[in-house]
Amino acid sequence: MNNTISFALLHLAFCFTLVSFTPISALELHGTGANMVETTCQKTPFYNLCVSALKSDPRSSGANVAGLAQIGTDKLKAKATATLRQITALLKVAKDPKLKMALRDCADYYNAIVKYDIPVAVEAVTKGDPKFGVEGATDAANEADACGRGFKNEPKFPIYASNKVVHDLSAVVASIVQLLL
Amino acid sequence: MADINPLLPVSSSDGSSNLTGQATCRRPIKVVVSIFFGLLTVGLFAALLIRNNGPVDYVDVHENERGSLASTAFEKAENLKPVSRGPAAGVSEKSNWAFGGDLPDYPWNNSMLSWQRTAFHFQPEKNWMNDPNGPLFYKGWYHFFYQYNPNAPVWGDIVWGHAVSKDLIHWLHLPLAMVADQWYDKNGVWTGSATILHDGKIVMLYTGSTTEGVQVQNLAYPADQYDPLLVHWVKYPRNPVLVPPPGIGPNDFRDPTTAWLTSEGKWRITIGSKINKTGIALVYDTKDFINYEMLDGLLHAVPGTGMWECVDFFPVSETENNGLETSINGHGIKHVVKASLDDDRHDYYAIGTYNDRNGTWIPDRPNIDVGIGLRYDYGIYYAAKTFYDQNKKRRVLWGWIGESDSEAADVKKGWASVQSIPRTILFDKKTGTHLLQWPVEEIDSLRLKGKEFNQVRIQAGSVVPLDIDSATQLDIIAEFKIDSDALDKATGSSDASFDCVTSGGAAERGALGPFGLLVLADERLSEQTPVYFYMTKGSDGNLKTFFCNDQSRSSKASDVDKHIYGSLVPVLRGENLSIRILVDHSIIESFGQGGRTVITSRVYPTKAIHGAAKVFLFNNATELNVTASLKTWQMNSAFIQPYPNL
Repeated sequence: MNNTISFALLHLAFCFTLVSFTPISALELHGTGANMVETTCQKTPFYNLCVSALKSDPRSSGANVAGLAQIGTDKLKAKATATLRQITALLKVAKDPKLKMALRDCADYYNAIVKYDIPVAVEAVTKGDPKFGVEGATDAANEADACGRGFKNEPKFPIYASNKVVHDLSAVVASIVQLLL
Repeated sequence: MADINPLLPVSSSDGSSNLTGQATCRRPIKVVVSIFFGLLTVGLFAALLIRNNGPVDYVDVHENERGSLASTAFEKAENLKPVSRGPAAGVSEKSNWAFGGDLPDYPWNNSMLSWQRTAFHFQPEKNWMNDPNGPLFYKGWYHFFYQYNPNAPVWGDIVWGHAVSKDLIHWLHLPLAMVADQWYDKNGVWTGSATILHDGKIVMLYTGSTTEGVQVQNLAYPADQYDPLLVHWVKYPRNPVLVPPPGIGPNDFRDPTTAWLTSEGKWRITIGSKINKTGIALVYDTKDFINYEMLDGLLHAVPGTGMWECVDFFPVSETENNGLETSINGHGIKHVVKASLDDDRHDYYAIGTYNDRNGTWIPDRPNIDVGIGLRYDYGIYYAAKTFYDQNKKRRVLWGWIGESDSEAADVKKGWASVQSIPRTILFDKKTGTHLLQWPVEEIDSLRLKGKEFNQVRIQAGSVVPLDIDSATQLDIIAEFKIDSDALDKATGSSDASFDCVTSGGAAERGALGPFGLLVLADERLSEQTPVYFYMTKGSDGNLKTFFCNDQSRSSKASDVDKHIYGSLVPVLRGENLSIRILVDHSIIESFGQGGRTVITSRVYPTKAIHGAAKVFLFNNATELNVTASLKTWQMNSAFIQPYPNL
């Protein structure tokens, strides 16, 4: 009987040890691999977009927060550059003068995003002064926001979806870089 | 299935035991117990693994866009939220333009943008600037260095800019002092401070971001000590002299201070850092600025304040009206610790007592410790640094003033950031709790035509225009007298929750406020920036005075910061309320009660520019009449330009 009891107690002790490791908070502290992406993305305003954007890059498994920030900015740069190309292409065929004006403004904003905001964010994260990275990413979100406002009174907003992605992804990157402060 | 529980005796999952020689009657119980806990263990492991691989909506970012393009042809622009950055309590100035609304971005034209450039504040000819670096006085010249991006009007590629002046006002630009040409500062020649040694020689300690992105401290000195312009600088060949110590992150180690002498005759510096979310100041002693010993303890630490950037540490006299050399210590002396908080982009200071023997400092009032109490400036002001001016025996403060317009506008206008007018710093003997900041007296030399207004009565709910000519380069010193009867009569309210930042600005009428000045206002007041006092009376009869700066109607443009800045300002019995304002195009520096509370803001009007800018007195209180007396001066340009014929 004694043997059984001590046997059972040993098992119980082991099980309790396991139980204490299941809470997510402990996993957060020791976040590894795919888990780091989830826990980091939980701290951003657009979880799903964050997870899909980061995971689509193989470097995300095993990356730390700074690494995820860099992946995020790379994704943002690709998306913004593609959107800028879209805008340029649309400008070539657009006939309506109001549409053209709104698109031209957006081209200006996206030039700022690609030429200034994103490089600032990249540099700030890689060189270790993250507050400028938060600012750069937030600026990008605000530029996308401004681009969208230009279409407020327009019946058509042809780049609505990509502009929204750029805005939301910028907000995601800003939140991730914020974690480095 | 493999046996995954190492503590179980070796047995297969069906429970049959491999134990031999056991009494048969015990075996079934053991088996049952083993199976039970075995399954429990397995179940727990399974739960662990399942949690790891929770369902994830894998959405291909590109797919989403292509797929929905067809259906968005007729979608109206969604009102995307401007992104907020920073903790809610201390949101940075650019994060969330209150009142930005749904308006499209302002079509800034060249006239509006070019007007924004300041006339007498230090700024480089173009591009981006941030922290002040290594200010000092040497051989008849004031030197100013600064974080500079030579390539763009945004932060990046940081090097050290340099300028000199005879009077802290008229600056002459010199060539870059240091560029990123060594492995130990390839990723950034960042902030640092100067120390003047016994023999008058200068050493400069600065942070470099290495090729690996690690923050280290480096030593540099003038190439030619006989060159009063200190144009060329040499980096110590065996840099870095300090690397992050154990327990300190490679990105949490920057901005070394000016050194001060210990009673043992060593030089001591402090460097800001953090451990988790506790802001700290590390301390090092050195004899030669090359070899250092880190003290076991910290100069100070405050939990929850995050990374301490640009730490500053200096003595102030409790009795004298002059500044103190950084090494001074003794009777009648307090020490100030200041930190720039990375988390909220504000500069905080606290007054306390320094213990030279163990290199520690404790605040006089822990409830307003560093990072949780007083700020140098309640507007846009960061990375400030003082130096001792041995020429005029004063402690002088520099502060970086960033932009609060859109970054797109910065790119359009080709520059970003200015420095505040240098301020003298003194201990406020009257309150014993605050520092006083005041523009250096040399600024008075820019005063041109002056006009005086005496005893101007401003009835409750009125606006009084001031007839001065131009109103974009001004120095205003104003005093406000209030009817003490009205103060006594006012009913005290138990609602003691007024705060400039959360208030309705100058449009929110109270019994005893707001009243003050409207600057950069056009005739129709379609744009205006109020700088004002707001008094409240508690149910206990105690009066509180707030000093605020309201940007909510400062510009028709929607892409500029519209927050209201300000704070409580101590007002002692018998004191009149006083304001000094320096208006210099897109910057307003306001000093309440002789510099007890200071607010700097950036303002970008579209109409109240050039000749259309005006100044008004206003009183929007409901139960108070106010009498104002003031002096105004047109301010000349400082003609900041490159050093001629260098």
